[in-house]
Amino acid sequence: MGDGRGIAGGTGGAAGGVSNRPVWMQQYDLMGKIGEGTYGLVFLAKTKKQKSCIAIKKFKQSKDGDGVSPTAIREIMLLRELSHDNVVKLVNVHINHADMSLYLAFDYAEHDLYEIIRHHREKLNHSINQYTVKSLLWQLLNGLNYLHSNWVIHRDLKPSNILVMGDGDEQGVVKIGDFGLARIYQAPLKPLSDNGVVVTIWYRAPELLLRGKHYTSAVDIWAVGCIFAELLTLKPLFQGVEVKGTSNPFQFDQLDKIFKVLGHPTPDKWPTLVHLPHWQNDQQHIQGLKYDNPCLHNYVHLPPKSPAYDLLSKMLEYDPRKRLTAAQALEHEYFRIDPLPGRNALVTTQPGEKIINYPARPVDTSTDFEGTTSIHPQPEMLFLGVLQHHQLCLPEQVHVQFLWLGCRGCHKQTCQLSILLLKLVLEDLIQELCLFNVVLQHKHINSS
Amino acid sequence: MADFRTSTHRSKWILTPRDLLEKREAANWRARKMLEDLGLTRLDVDIDGSISYPEPLQDSKAERHSIKALNCEEEQLLRVFYEQKIQEVCGAFKFPHKIQGTAIIYFKRFYLQWSVMEHHPKHIMLTCVYASCKVEENHVSAEELGKGIQQDHQMILNNEMVVLQSLGFDLIVYAPYRSIEGFIDDMEGFTEARDSVQTKLKELQVAAKFEVDRAMLTDAPLLFPPGQLALAALRRSNEILKVINFERYLERITSAERNSQNASQLVESLNAIDLLVDKLSIPTAKDMRHIDRKLRSCLDPSSQEESKKREKKSKHKSKRALSEMQEDHIEG
Repeated sequence: MGDGRGIAGGTGGAAGGVSNRPVWMQQYDLMGKIGEGTYGLVFLAKTKKQKSCIAIKKFKQSKDGDGVSPTAIREIMLLRELSHDNVVKLVNVHINHADMSLYLAFDYAEHDLYEIIRHHREKLNHSINQYTVKSLLWQLLNGLNYLHSNWVIHRDLKPSNILVMGDGDEQGVVKIGDFGLARIYQAPLKPLSDNGVVVTIWYRAPELLLRGKHYTSAVDIWAVGCIFAELLTLKPLFQGVEVKGTSNPFQFDQLDKIFKVLGHPTPDKWPTLVHLPHWQNDQQHIQGLKYDNPCLHNYVHLPPKSPAYDLLSKMLEYDPRKRLTAAQALEHEYFRIDPLPGRNALVTTQPGEKIINYPARPVDTSTDFEGTTSIHPQPEMLFLGVLQHHQLCLPEQVHVQFLWLGCRGCHKQTCQLSILLLKLVLEDLIQELCLFNVVLQHKHINSS
Repeated sequence: MADFRTSTHRSKWILTPRDLLEKREAANWRARKMLEDLGLTRLDVDIDGSISYPEPLQDSKAERHSIKALNCEEEQLLRVFYEQKIQEVCGAFKFPHKIQGTAIIYFKRFYLQWSVMEHHPKHIMLTCVYASCKVEENHVSAEELGKGIQQDHQMILNNEMVVLQSLGFDLIVYAPYRSIEGFIDDMEGFTEARDSVQTKLKELQVAAKFEVDRAMLTDAPLLFPPGQLALAALRRSNEILKVINFERYLERITSAERNSQNASQLVESLNAIDLLVDKLSIPTAKDMRHIDRKLRSCLDPSSQEESKKREKKSKHKSKRALSEMQEDHIEG
């Protein structure tokens, strides 16, 4: 892998003094920051040679002074072995010796399910078309089937980790991303529940909420079920309030939300339920609670006899052993009836239906590769970033005007003026854009 | 990852004897050259994980020539010595058996790119154990590991990046231990499951595990897939324990095998592994004393001068230094 080879010759090793930027950085044009997490930062960059877009995930050194982040190691080692259309592709690993950080370079995906769902909910106010929902779900299951047959559990499936490719030859193809919590479950040396709580609570399977120890790939299918419902209704199916603080606390509210929709679980339907610690202890008296009959079909507005509902309910089966596997789900009738799922999930199938232009990821152009925010953002970069992000929304004369202003370089006055102007124009456009702009303006004024 | 067939282990790290020879000669040659040009071979790994080359020593050329570089055979002996140490350290920490297997494979792969004269194998061995623990989800802090064997843990952290990088970040490796389990399971079906046979199969499994531990110290893990290492170990153990008809068993698995490998090819591989195991010589303390002195003088000639003086003063002290080197790692 890139830097990894050939280092014995001494080329890689000599790189990167404290003040020098590593040589590998020169192969990219940095566009800006596109994300942030506990592990570190995500950047958008273009390769200078092919001009292809790359997402670069920077992992900070682990905080406890214990070397390279185990999360990064987990993600790298799994992705080095995995290769599938519906799994994100790790194209390179780079090292910045200056701060002992690792940079993972991935093929860039413009969209993700979180943003697609949000766009429909907040901007378009209409549901996602059936073909798109089915294609997204099929590809997600296809990728998951590959992972599971390679004995990998993802453990953190949620809409923001399900990526969808933008323009290009892979347009509309789903990529499962973020393997920082993934585990090989072939022969765990320790019970899987040992390394802390996993899976964002809304998508967490009931056996995990009840503190099952030896959970299986079925936890991923539960999450897919939740995501399926969210694609249909545009809102999270089980939106419990997370109890924070102590390690692995009992998430009563989340269970309550699930029970309200799916009914109370019974040892009758789920025999191993009685062995799960939180059910056994019954500290919150969850065993005695009364819930109305299951009403999942009302929540997702599906006829109880439809194939879509049948598939959903089988992925949200309480007993993990009865829950569908990814392979079984792919064989389900739902995927055999019209509209059939396709490779490009974002195209329209109905004549006359409008193509939806999902917004591109916002790019924060004021952060550099090391993750430090620059004090003097280059104005043309700011404008180009904004324009690139929203060029479809901006009226043409405005577009031109900004390019002109932007191109005059960092003349302080021009800069401030143009940012103010930009702000005024944008106020008439989209709220979100204004927020973005205010941030830019704020940064700029601080620096001047 | 269950699928060895699509793994980086299979595609990139099963090599030919010729590959091994070339890579090792290249690394040895580079270190020799450095000794000639600069007077020492040690590469410093800084706190940030970057590597720096030594400044040339000011000594006269003639003096430098008095320092002899290790040859390839001596490097080999040193590696075997420290690979065995990996097994001891992991045993002392009571790590799951897989940890030492993974660490040894990392160590072997690392020294396909570097000479022991460039990176001291004691440091690399501990870093490989540390990395193996991280990858196999058996996390031990560098501090704990260092403390257990009375070594500076910062050295482990300093070397972590260069080890990961030299491994090309191919971190999932297949040790033969699981394959043994798999074959034993399969043999249970092969020999109609009578209780007496069951017990004997368990004995066979234990014996084969020891055989694999020995094979891990040879070049075999860089030349053969883990399944063949496991089979060779089972065959060796079966020759003594005589649990099953091994020839018939091999016929059966080759006829069921998808990848069209025929029985004679498989037997050829197993014989080659046996040969490597038979040839394995684990260096004695005496062998090591000589090589270790040479290594120290290559890594840092100035310390050698001092140690020579010390040696003259008290002979038992230098003996102590050697036994320290051997025993330090197994305490804890």
